[in-house]
Amino acid sequence: MIDEDLVAGHRQELRRGTVVLACLLALRTPGYGYGLLKTLETAGIPSDANTIYPLLRRLEERGLLVSVWNTDESRPRKFYRTSPQGAALADRLLAEMNDLTASLHALNGGTPHDLAD
Amino acid sequence: MTSLTDRYLAAVLRGIPERQRADVEREFRSSIEEAVQDRTAAGEERLAAEKAVLEAMGEPSRLAADLAGRPFHLIGPDLFLVYRHILVMLLATGVPIVGLVVAALKLAGGGDYWDALAAGVGGAWNAAVHMVFWVTATFAVVERADAMRGARDEVQKASRQWTVDMLPALPNVRVGAGEMVGELVTTSLTIGGILFLQQPAWFTDERGDSIPLFNPGLWDGWLPILIAVLVALAALQVMAFVVGRWNAVLAFVHAILQVAFAVPVAWLALSGALINPAFAEALGWPALADGTGPAMLLLAAAVVGITAWEIVAVFRRAGRSAASDGRPVTSGSA
Repeated sequence: MIDEDLVAGHRQELRRGTVVLACLLALRTPGYGYGLLKTLETAGIPSDANTIYPLLRRLEERGLLVSVWNTDESRPRKFYRTSPQGAALADRLLAEMNDLTASLHALNGGTPHDLAD
Repeated sequence: MTSLTDRYLAAVLRGIPERQRADVEREFRSSIEEAVQDRTAAGEERLAAEKAVLEAMGEPSRLAADLAGRPFHLIGPDLFLVYRHILVMLLATGVPIVGLVVAALKLAGGGDYWDALAAGVGGAWNAAVHMVFWVTATFAVVERADAMRGARDEVQKASRQWTVDMLPALPNVRVGAGEMVGELVTTSLTIGGILFLQQPAWFTDERGDSIPLFNPGLWDGWLPILIAVLVALAALQVMAFVVGRWNAVLAFVHAILQVAFAVPVAWLALSGALINPAFAEALGWPALADGTGPAMLLLAAAVVGITAWEIVAVFRRAGRSAASDGRPVTSGSA
């Protein structure tokens, strides 16, 4: 019987690196913080407010996201959008993710050579 | 909106740079409000909803540090090894030296041996507290300050350029901090013992003055010299620790100092000049001071024997240390 806490810890570790990729992919359609949280949750990649807001600011600082305040509606919202640079990074990371998945499947099946080409 | 959100935001904003505050407050206020409304729309009571939303966002100071990109640690993994190394070096060398100097100054200033001991221990403790505090404070600043990013990168780069040449010697070759501190304590106790035996309270003469164990005439010549040799041996031990091992040069100096201690002591003992005859008299064992008596013969033999053994032991370690990195003893592996 495997300890559920242990599973949860490793699961979180595994998912941690994917939050950036998820944000960059999701925000190719502009979105604001709270909306993004719901989008990610619906997509099956739930995250916390205290992870997402600081992350959005860091990504914006590095020029991977651009932001604009939308004050047209009753509630002002800060909209973020993935920059061209951010989109390029997302492509690379997605390719990496797919490679990793393929490698892991190969390890699991025990025939990595078949997947090399 | 209620005071809970205001208090939460105030606590968050306190911890982030001025220029970010307005933007963060605006974004968070609208997000919190929207999250609360989603919950009340689902039938939750307003106050309970607000509580739940804020608690899910976690401790404000933690969130603020995250927003400002500040580390959650005092000294992080990049700096920790360098920090520990510097601290250990400073403590192992500086603390005993400060303690000895403070105690010596107290003695020179006319204090008795208990005063000197108390002053030495107090001085060593003060030195240790200051070293730990200032080194830690400096590293904590380097870890945080944006202006220190350059220094941080330098340390990081330097500590990552590791090669096998930096491997410490094996334990039987290496001169460790514990060994050095042990030697310094032994030396201090020896010097303290010599000073103490100058006026022990065991026997007094007819004027009521205490009778010293060592020949009082020696204070004009040999005893200060022997104490100086002991201090030099302690300093040499510190050098061996700083270098990390005994090399040929250090072992040679060590041998000279050991001889400089043992030969005068043995000669003084055998010539009957070491022990105060009045002390031997008062003890009821006049032969103690006699250079041809069994006590002095035994003492001279013990001093010569121990010294020879120490010299050989250090040369052997220097030889092993040279062999462990493939260099001959005589090349001086410092």
